[in-house]
Amino acid sequence: MKWSAFLPLFLLPAAFAATKDKDAVREQLIDLAAKGNGLIKLDSKTFDLLTLPSRDWSASIQFTALDRRRRCAPCKEFDPSWNAVAKAWSTAPKEHRDTHFFGTLDFDEGQTVFQKLGLASAPLVYVYPAAEGPRQLPNGKTAPSKYDFSNGFEAEPLANHLSSHTPIPIPYRAPIDWARWATFISGILSLVLTLRFISPILQSRWTWAAITVLTSLTMTGGFMFTRIRGTPYTGPDGSWIAGGYQNQYGQEVQVVALIYGTLSFAFLMLTVIVPYQSSASRQRMQVYLWSAVIMLIYSVLVTIFRLKNRGYPFKLLL
Amino acid sequence: MLQCWRALTLFLLVSAASVFAASSLSFENSAIVRTVDLGGSLVHVTTTFAAKALEPKASAYTITLPEDEIQRTSWLEVKIKGQQQPLTVKYGGAPADGKFYNLDVQLPNPVEVDSTVNIVLETIQTHATYPWPERAAQQDEQSLKYNTTLFVLSPYKTNVQRTKVKSPSPEVRSYTTPKDVDAFTLESPVTKSGATITYGPYNNLPVSATNEWVTKNQQLIGIHYKYDYPVLELTQVKRVAEISHWGANLNIQDDIVLYNAGPELKGHFSRLEHQTQSFYKRAAAHVIPALSLHLPAGIHDVYYYDLVGNVSTSRLRAAPSVPKNSRSNQYSVMELRPRYPLLGGWNYTFTLGWDSPLADSASYDASTGKYIVQVPIMTDVPGSVVNECEVKIILPEGATDVEHVLPFPAVSTEESTHITYLDTLGRPVITFKYKNLTTKHAKPIYVSYKVPSSAHLRKPVAVATALLGLFVFGMFARRVDLTLHKKTA
Amino acid sequence: MSTAYPLPTNLSTTTVTNTASLLRIVALGLISAAAIASRLFAVINFESIIHEFDPWFNYRATRVLASQGFYEFWNWFDPTAWYPLGRVVGGTVYPGLMATSGVIYNFLHAFHLPVDIRNICVLLAPGFSALTAWATYMFTKEMKDESAGLLAAAFIGIVPGYISRSVAGSYDNEAIAIFLLMFTFYCWIKALKTGSALFGTLAAVFYFYMVAAWGGYAFITNMIPVHALTLMLMGRFSSRLYVAYCSWYAIGTLSSMQVPFVGFQPVRTSEHMGALGVFGLLQIVAFAQLARSHLSSKQFQNLLTVSVVAMGVVGTFGFIALTYMGWIAPWTGRFYSLWDTGYAKKYIPIIASVSEHQPTAWPSFFMDLQLLIFLFPAGVILCFRELRDEHVFVIIYSVVASYFAGVMVRLMLTLTPVVCVSSAVAFSSLIDTYLDPTQPEGEEESEADSSNGTNTAATPSKKEKAKKPAASTSALNDIVTAATSQSSSKSKSKGIWGLDTRLIVIVNAIGMLSFFVFHCTWVTANAYSSPSVVLASTNPDGSQHIIDDFREAYYWLRQNTPQDAVVMSWWDYGYQIAGMADRPTLVDNNTWNNSKSHIATVGKAMSSSEEVAYPILRKHDVDYVLVIFGGLLGYSGDDINKFLWMVRIAQGVWPDEIQEPNYFTPQGEYRVDDRASSAMKNSLMYKMSYYRFAELFGGNNAMDRVRQQTMPKVGPTLDYLDEAFTSENWIVRIYQVRKEDLLGRDLKSANAFAQGKKKKKSKPVSRRKAIPV
Repeated sequence: MKWSAFLPLFLLPAAFAATKDKDAVREQLIDLAAKGNGLIKLDSKTFDLLTLPSRDWSASIQFTALDRRRRCAPCKEFDPSWNAVAKAWSTAPKEHRDTHFFGTLDFDEGQTVFQKLGLASAPLVYVYPAAEGPRQLPNGKTAPSKYDFSNGFEAEPLANHLSSHTPIPIPYRAPIDWARWATFISGILSLVLTLRFISPILQSRWTWAAITVLTSLTMTGGFMFTRIRGTPYTGPDGSWIAGGYQNQYGQEVQVVALIYGTLSFAFLMLTVIVPYQSSASRQRMQVYLWSAVIMLIYSVLVTIFRLKNRGYPFKLLL
Repeated sequence: MLQCWRALTLFLLVSAASVFAASSLSFENSAIVRTVDLGGSLVHVTTTFAAKALEPKASAYTITLPEDEIQRTSWLEVKIKGQQQPLTVKYGGAPADGKFYNLDVQLPNPVEVDSTVNIVLETIQTHATYPWPERAAQQDEQSLKYNTTLFVLSPYKTNVQRTKVKSPSPEVRSYTTPKDVDAFTLESPVTKSGATITYGPYNNLPVSATNEWVTKNQQLIGIHYKYDYPVLELTQVKRVAEISHWGANLNIQDDIVLYNAGPELKGHFSRLEHQTQSFYKRAAAHVIPALSLHLPAGIHDVYYYDLVGNVSTSRLRAAPSVPKNSRSNQYSVMELRPRYPLLGGWNYTFTLGWDSPLADSASYDASTGKYIVQVPIMTDVPGSVVNECEVKIILPEGATDVEHVLPFPAVSTEESTHITYLDTLGRPVITFKYKNLTTKHAKPIYVSYKVPSSAHLRKPVAVATALLGLFVFGMFARRVDLTLHKKTA
Repeated sequence: MSTAYPLPTNLSTTTVTNTASLLRIVALGLISAAAIASRLFAVINFESIIHEFDPWFNYRATRVLASQGFYEFWNWFDPTAWYPLGRVVGGTVYPGLMATSGVIYNFLHAFHLPVDIRNICVLLAPGFSALTAWATYMFTKEMKDESAGLLAAAFIGIVPGYISRSVAGSYDNEAIAIFLLMFTFYCWIKALKTGSALFGTLAAVFYFYMVAAWGGYAFITNMIPVHALTLMLMGRFSSRLYVAYCSWYAIGTLSSMQVPFVGFQPVRTSEHMGALGVFGLLQIVAFAQLARSHLSSKQFQNLLTVSVVAMGVVGTFGFIALTYMGWIAPWTGRFYSLWDTGYAKKYIPIIASVSEHQPTAWPSFFMDLQLLIFLFPAGVILCFRELRDEHVFVIIYSVVASYFAGVMVRLMLTLTPVVCVSSAVAFSSLIDTYLDPTQPEGEEESEADSSNGTNTAATPSKKEKAKKPAASTSALNDIVTAATSQSSSKSKSKGIWGLDTRLIVIVNAIGMLSFFVFHCTWVTANAYSSPSVVLASTNPDGSQHIIDDFREAYYWLRQNTPQDAVVMSWWDYGYQIAGMADRPTLVDNNTWNNSKSHIATVGKAMSSSEEVAYPILRKHDVDYVLVIFGGLLGYSGDDINKFLWMVRIAQGVWPDEIQEPNYFTPQGEYRVDDRASSAMKNSLMYKMSYYRFAELFGGNNAMDRVRQQTMPKVGPTLDYLDEAFTSENWIVRIYQVRKEDLLGRDLKSANAFAQGKKKKKSKPVSRRKAIPV
């Protein structure tokens, strides 16, 4: 990214910016914001500038750790919507735009700041109200207020929330997801086209049977739980089964669904296929085989369940 | 006045019809000793009249009680000292515009001139004490006040009389010293020794049961004393006794409203205080943590619940059932705790019931072909008064010529019918209402009735016919074919 | 022909059938007995008491109905709920449940059986579970045969997934709803098979009952149309379908509109539009059929295409237009949150806060359905094998229900019946196959089938197999090839050789079934049989110890506070307070109406400081505030654990006064000890929960046994409230709101003044020991 080249250029004035009056600081901030199209990429010094005790502007700052080493998935998830909102603000009319700034402070550039504010987690968004001037809060509050991620990382709620701190609402408009539309329409078209080729398949009941069974297997495997709770595929320590009765990882869905599938398949074999065998010996062999499979897999299932529900008193073969 | 009548009928024993002629000359009291045993909601008063006959064949002695005392007396009994048999007492009515009432006592045998008879009047007063101060915080102690009159009135001359007031604890906060009684005594009018306060002796009292004397000399005395036990009051007790011959069972169920008549709680209840107190075994005197009741022997299936369901905090030590009218005083002990400790002024309502084998309390009189069942009027909660009591006895279905004998007259008696499980006609019910009952009133009511054997069979027959009808209907309904056009299958 | 084991030959067919039917009746009787008995754990372990929260309202309403008659109940305005708004109960309740128990009550009393209304309410659910078993039997009978029906009945009789909502005492709408659901479906299937308007009407009648009984009726409202639609798409339109659907829809909709709470929704809301649309479509298709029978195919084609397209377009646009004009309400939140699963958390926190609206993890599936959960797909496959109309129904039902059950725990209830049905189908066909004594021999299939014909009573399913269309066999053929690598010889002599093979499978099956029984008993006894009003713990000596704090406190309120004292608590306890303490409440569990702001007010009062809360309390004339505190006993369902929801809901209305992050530590932890955030420490809820809690432990440091955190030595102080009552184990704490100070001081300073005086007078109570609890 090209703009690290500029860094030394304005760090020089920034060094003794504290002495300068805040107009100069604002100019500089405006300048920075313009460069980072609406978003100021902060470090510990520019952070101090932005949160000048005598500021008559307000600022909203994202504390994040985007570096790969930090392994902060939510940071990466949140960053785009933050940039989107900042960009939207940069399109606001100038006189308003320059009274509120968006900044991003990455952990690796401002560790001192993180320590100073005693921040242990990221991402965070603080909104610093204006400390002086016309836009000072009526209750004279200058301490930053924290943005609540309880309704997700999307840009929409973020913009709505921040709009209550900016002089005018942030002109944020959710971008139209062209890709989705394209895929959707093309999907429709391809479906219509292929319909005549695959219609025999669609009319075969067994296609539908497969679809139905797979759906119900994934659902009873707790797929929706992982969807809604957004539980990871595996545990942080790589364990694939989550402790606790009311919790599960993504991988459990697959395992459990597979077990269920195998068991019911074995039942089907016993019920449907085996009677049609032509030779007694092979039939007998299959009967024993599938019965054994059922017993075995079932015991495995019970064992797994005992892992989830400690109090469960029953067990089968193992 | 009517009110007074009702109150009075309560404690008059079965009164003889004979009329007395009481004259002020027939006796003179050589000594009157009144002993007041102070308590919580009950106060025992025992008055002994040593009466010396002045004229031959004197057989009617008159006792005078002031009005307010009559009002709060719930039970009285008159005996000759050393005899078991209570004497018959008749309400002699009040002299004109008198503030006191006469009770005429019929002596068993006439007294010779100058010979003395000791007449003992024993009464129990309810609602006679009141908490003072009226409000107490959780860890304060409780003290009560009791007021009475100084002199025992009598229509006869009295040589000497004294009143002993016994407080349950030696800590007597205060007591009144009667004024200008020099006419009757020379030394100090009142002396306190330990827990006992003695008024008198007062000598040479004239006929005191006259208005002018009362207005001139009578005065109130009050005792303010510490009381270490909760003041219990059963505001209302509804007892239902159901007799079932099929189950050979007597079911008794009490609906009880419990009230702590001690000083009202000042401020608020703090569980912390309470737990600390009980932890250090110094629970406040006016808190009722639990009750222990004496239930009859041989009971089973005891249940204890309230408006929101079963109360699990109770223990029963059931005694085995004893044969009827054998004089063994065995009883089962029921320890029940209210849902919450009952502080001053708090209420708690609950229902307590049990089953007992009918044989324990019923007997069959072959000669008259009647059953006789005894039902206790109330379960004695020690040291408590029952303000209103209603006893409802449900006899088996079809019981005829019902009669009952009461230990003492009820305020009201009424008969009705009650329909319960699978009854066709309903069961006869007798309901008695009482007021201000005390320990002394825990006596049985005797009910006798006939039950023809046809009545026994009524219920099974009814049920059987109903079921039979159902089956018959089913049989036909099963076989009737309602299809419009038969399918040719 | 040879049989694996000897059969009695001297039995007439009538004997066999009669014996079979007798056995069926006995079996059903036993199943009902088992179903009822297995739901009585709660009554035996505790007592005959109403459970949990909502049942308490139903019980209260039922008491009104029983004591004052139906019209009084219908016009009942309950002034104590939602103080000061009150609640028009008649119009805001599904009366089916209360009406049912009211009818039973009056019936019994007419026969001089004075049964207490409480016992009727408590035992209603078990009683209806027996009926449900019967309905499931009838339904499954239509799917396969009697033997499968009996299995299904047995399954649903004891399966925990259904018991969880129908133990004795859980007097809730679901108690009767599942029976109605199954029976309506049975009538629908029957109507569809026979094309009889009678059964269609029956279905409508029971649908009406269902509408009157449970909000979940929308499931039927959409299930049946989807089934009809699918049948049409499969080209299975028939006059039977037409008759069944039209009679059901017409009568059902009209009657359902008689329930005041439903009113005009069936024509005004999107949930019901599907049924209407299918109704219209049916008319079109029926018309097309009629036209086909009268016209030549050429004209018919044009006519059909034109008319269908035209009507379809008109219909859709009409629907859209109406929606936009607001004549048709869009999906309500609860239903919408089924599709957009993130919706509830964002916009209706009240719904999201209910534990039974959480998604389901797989262990709860297994816990509730055990072996049925994996028999279920097999059954679905078998349904596909002979794809009759009713099987289509089961298939659709299984897909839809398994999705719903995945989204919301409580909807496990709708999944359970279909799971029972289809797994019963699977299981019984397995047993059929291996009980069938005939051994295959060479080519004589016909004889084998006829021999099956003889012992019909045992395995009637064979007849269906016999008249199975060739399509499925060929289809079957290709699974055979798919499943077993070897291509099976075309000679279809089906059956099992030998006795050992039969034995092992049957023994295995029986083993699994008995395991199922053990599982169900254990789950029912341990997981689903505690009436959350009474808690049970075990003494050191193993005996059961009842913890009855809730009723203790409620009863204290009832006995020792003025009749009109307003009690404020979190809404979970509203119904219980109304039912047991008989006092007006600010909010209760009736959250359907958007009294969001009302609940948010309580949330705000609880989560803001005393000074802020006091005016709110006074404004709503609150006399007592009740909080649930488990810290002493380790009762995890207490208010501190629910506190965040109060904050969230309050934040939804006052975002600038209440902010959730303020209640966490800077590190984002949820703490109550001395590291707790200041907003937390000053909140009314925190103060009321921990008031004088530390003193209980005297010198040693106080431990919150739920949060496992040690509390600070000096607890919070209260200036605007007085502790009025605390239950034995401190679970329920009741505070009285002080009236304004007489001297006009603000209560804080007044209190400080009084404290100062007291200090001078009496030395402060000091050094207490911990009380063993």
